[in-house]
Amino acid sequence: MKHKKSLGTVLRLVVATSTATSVFTILVIVLAVITALFPPLILERVVNNLTTGRGIRISLALSYLGFIALSGLLESGQNVMITVFGQKVTHGLRSALCVKLHRLPAAYFTSHEAGKIASCFVNDVDTVDSLFTDGIISMFADGCKVVSILVVIFYKSTGLGFLMLLVTPLLFTMTRLFQKRMLSAQFENRVAVSKVNNHVPETIRNIRMIHVLLREQYMEQRYDDYISESYRATDKSNLYDSIYSPIVIFVRSCVIAVMMVCAAMGGGIREFFGISVGTAVAVIAYVGQVFEPLESLGMEIQNIQSAVAGVKRIDEFLAEPEREMPKNSNAKKGSDAAPIVRFDHVRFGYDDNNDVLQNLSFTVSRGEAVTFVGRTGAGKSTVFRLLLGLYRPLEGRVLIEGLGASDIPDEKKRHLFGYVEQSFHLVEGTVAEQISLFDPAVGREQVESAAKLVGLHDSILALPDGYDTPASEAAFSQGQFQLLSIARAVAASPEILLLDEITANLDSNTECHVLDALERAAKGRTVLSISHRLQEHVNGQRIIQIGASDVAV
Amino acid sequence: MSHQRIHKVPQPDHIWSYFRLETRPLVLVTVSGILYNVGMVAGPYFEGQLAQCLFDIMKGYKTVSAMVSLAALYLSVILFVQAMRALKRFGVRRFANDTSRNMRHMLYNSLVHMSREKLEKENLGSVMTKAVADVDTCVEGMRKFTTEVFDTGVVLVAYTVMLFSYDWRLALLSCAFTPFAYLIAGHLKGRVAQTNAAYKKSAGRLNGATMDRVSNAVTYRVYGCEQNRDAAYEVRLSDYEKRAVAANLWENTMQPLYNIISMCGAVLILYLGAQNVLGTGWKSWDIAAFTTFLSCFTKMALKSSHAAKLFNAVQKAQVSWARIKPLMKEYIGLDSISLPNVKPIELILSNVSVGWTDGETVLKDISFSAHPGQIIGVTGPVACGKSTLGKGFIGEVPYCGSIRVAGRELRELSHCERSQLISYMGHEPELISDTLAENIRLGEPGEIEPFLRAVCLDEEVRQMPQGADTPVGSGGVRLSGGQQARVALARTLYNSRSVLVLDDPFSALDQGTEQTILENLRVLAKDKIVILFSHRLYQFPTFDRVLFLYGGRSIFSTHEKLMQKNPDYAKLYLEQINGGGGHET
Repeated sequence: MKHKKSLGTVLRLVVATSTATSVFTILVIVLAVITALFPPLILERVVNNLTTGRGIRISLALSYLGFIALSGLLESGQNVMITVFGQKVTHGLRSALCVKLHRLPAAYFTSHEAGKIASCFVNDVDTVDSLFTDGIISMFADGCKVVSILVVIFYKSTGLGFLMLLVTPLLFTMTRLFQKRMLSAQFENRVAVSKVNNHVPETIRNIRMIHVLLREQYMEQRYDDYISESYRATDKSNLYDSIYSPIVIFVRSCVIAVMMVCAAMGGGIREFFGISVGTAVAVIAYVGQVFEPLESLGMEIQNIQSAVAGVKRIDEFLAEPEREMPKNSNAKKGSDAAPIVRFDHVRFGYDDNNDVLQNLSFTVSRGEAVTFVGRTGAGKSTVFRLLLGLYRPLEGRVLIEGLGASDIPDEKKRHLFGYVEQSFHLVEGTVAEQISLFDPAVGREQVESAAKLVGLHDSILALPDGYDTPASEAAFSQGQFQLLSIARAVAASPEILLLDEITANLDSNTECHVLDALERAAKGRTVLSISHRLQEHVNGQRIIQIGASDVAV
Repeated sequence: MSHQRIHKVPQPDHIWSYFRLETRPLVLVTVSGILYNVGMVAGPYFEGQLAQCLFDIMKGYKTVSAMVSLAALYLSVILFVQAMRALKRFGVRRFANDTSRNMRHMLYNSLVHMSREKLEKENLGSVMTKAVADVDTCVEGMRKFTTEVFDTGVVLVAYTVMLFSYDWRLALLSCAFTPFAYLIAGHLKGRVAQTNAAYKKSAGRLNGATMDRVSNAVTYRVYGCEQNRDAAYEVRLSDYEKRAVAANLWENTMQPLYNIISMCGAVLILYLGAQNVLGTGWKSWDIAAFTTFLSCFTKMALKSSHAAKLFNAVQKAQVSWARIKPLMKEYIGLDSISLPNVKPIELILSNVSVGWTDGETVLKDISFSAHPGQIIGVTGPVACGKSTLGKGFIGEVPYCGSIRVAGRELRELSHCERSQLISYMGHEPELISDTLAENIRLGEPGEIEPFLRAVCLDEEVRQMPQGADTPVGSGGVRLSGGQQARVALARTLYNSRSVLVLDDPFSALDQGTEQTILENLRVLAKDKIVILFSHRLYQFPTFDRVLFLYGGRSIFSTHEKLMQKNPDYAKLYLEQINGGGGHET
């Protein structure tokens, strides 16, 4: 089954799962539209009574208020329902994006900035929300209003009805003109905003470099460039936004003026317009009421416009090519007879032009300890990424216990691999969660025994809330993070331990701690490690050379 | 208008500073806003007159030409009023746009000058929400406030005057309901703020979760944890949905209710106003007066219900502003620099202890001096010490004793002066998302080729499809660890000052590359003092001096002498040279 999703299918899904909400929303909108028609009709009767010298009964006056109150209440109902519906859409969309995240190939995360992806989740989804709440649904409501009022106007005065039919499309043409101009400005703005958003975390990440190299002004200048970009785009769309509504109101006045003049003329024209003074007052109110939703239609179009850019990006995100998901079959179980790791004539490169690995073959048997060596950039880490199934080889096979590495289901990985990365990736959560990675299968007991194994248990207990202390960069030293990384790797008792240049960046003493911890962690496991330095800590392990063997020793 | 300039805001933690800066657009807004809003009454007035005129024509009192001239007058007045409106709308938006830019500019200025230590205490996700979302909300509130001062304040006054001039008793009676609407609005203000704050908090949590999910996606995948992270994300989403609905409910649904309360007055107008027209009321009215009065009142009731919206917008802005305010600091520019032009620059440490005052001092009694052209290797088995000394040079860790550079005491130098003398490179490559070349230049034009060659990166760069113009990605993700380290080193060399402090720059490199780079460094930095911290000792024999730190003490000597006299150093060195841990010296 192909999981091809677009924004459209996601939305259909959301609407389908909340039928009751959708139906109720529409019902409330229709009722609100209908009740809004009544007050001017009552007004007409009031004025007609007055012109003929009759009085107003208190019940007529009260019914005027009654309808206004009812239509006001229904309008609140409408607002609530629109919000509820919009939030359902937002929720559904974010869930869909999250699922998509799961299906994206690892390469996507290295070629796209985290801030920009997050901006798709946060800002672009918010625009889609406003596309619904302040856009499409409100537009539907306002469209209903316009049509219903036009019908009443036709009924009251054929001439004015035709006049309105003439003006409405003209207004729409104008609106579309504005629409196009604003769309491009809005798009420019969104692009700039995403740059602005990305610059802040980047600054925080690089703050020491900025201070040491005295680049505060440089970074500020970059930021100012981004906000100025956004400023110019916003200014452009503000200009159109500012003049649109005044033009509409002026047109409304023109319609009223023409109508009144025509109604005042004699003969056929008056016949055609055929209005009494009471009707004139009511119709002025109606004309006002038509232009109000027409004006908001303009605004709603603006909201939809600004959402288009966001929608485009969400659609692009959802359409990103997905990785081939590992088949979720239990049938294929790795055989114990097969070697635990096998590279079979593997060729791989991140792009078509440059091969990182060529014709690489090796076998690692269960329980063996192997070290990969090679020049910087020779592709040692790439070997690990292929092993972990993050990438597929272009040619040849990467087999784990006889199974293709990228066909291993995600949920089995943790029991197969413990991957100690070069640097520790801090996740948002407590210290215990740094080790368990929120895996429910890794209970507190396993977390603690992993921490004990790497010798961190006591330091963690010394923290204010022990294992439940929220983890932060400041809470641990560089070396302790390495230890935490090892604890994370071994917490679920994996069969294979992958060590990526584990003791880089450490001084000898800490290195000793880490190496001790590793020795304990390696017991009974297959261990694959990466090292730049041939002669260290190899202790008679098998060495596999990656790339040309010109390593200076 | 000078809309290309971004202002440095004096007293940036006072909201009024931002209004003050925008005097020009605000004056424009004031003039056009008053004209427009006073002109607002023209609509109902003329529409009443038009109805009256139609009545008169029908009765035969007037001719069509009266209607034509009235309609023409009506149109020209509306045109003027709407032109004012367009001007006001644009003015307000320009004000908001300017303010948003100024606020972000100031916010960023204080961010970029924040110390690393302070920043680490701040949660990344929430700083982001603070900086971006809060400025937007705050400016939106300021814009609405400015708009509503005119669109509600001035227009209400205009309408009230109009109503009172027609029939003051009826005006008084019919407007009696409006204060109730205000009373309720004021009462519910707190509730609105409360739900809104809860919503904002939930949004912050959701943003943090999003950032975590996205930036650690590969880690979660490798550990097969993606599915349960998705489930946790779902919990955040549900919470956000719930709070967003609650906040919107309070904010959006109050307005029609206020309107209903205010419109109670309309019953009185219809009933008593009709009596005026029929000649049995307090005043004698024509049809025009009746319709104008009613239409004015209706518009006023609607406007006063907007007043509640104003409260909400201001309320929301206050919540956001309260969070931005502590981040707003006086603009920090470059410090003045007063450096004596001492050449050659010397570095002298005497009796230096480095460490935090509240903790135990990590290193004690370090003394040495260095001259340009020298490479000083610093090493030692001590658990934590080397990096601390390195950070002492850039003011991240305090020191006692004396460190003199170019004849000046280090701690007396401003941040700016210190950075003019000392360049530092830490463990993190700290790359920006731009091209490889820009990461080295950082805005300082110049030739980067020699520096790429110096760090043995020239060949690899040539092989990249876009060469030095290749974007490195966020944090340098598109480069390998070794490439990142070398780009960082090239950047440090390109921007190097008289003293170069390199904290373990070669840890991600193989030994051959390390040796080549060191040879290049010697040539490139022949007029500089290089202090190189490392736990790898292969290259130490080639260094001019070695500072050996052990057990809180230090020895400053040459490699040869240390090998002879210090068994700890000799053991450390030989262990590494012979490989493996357990060899005898």
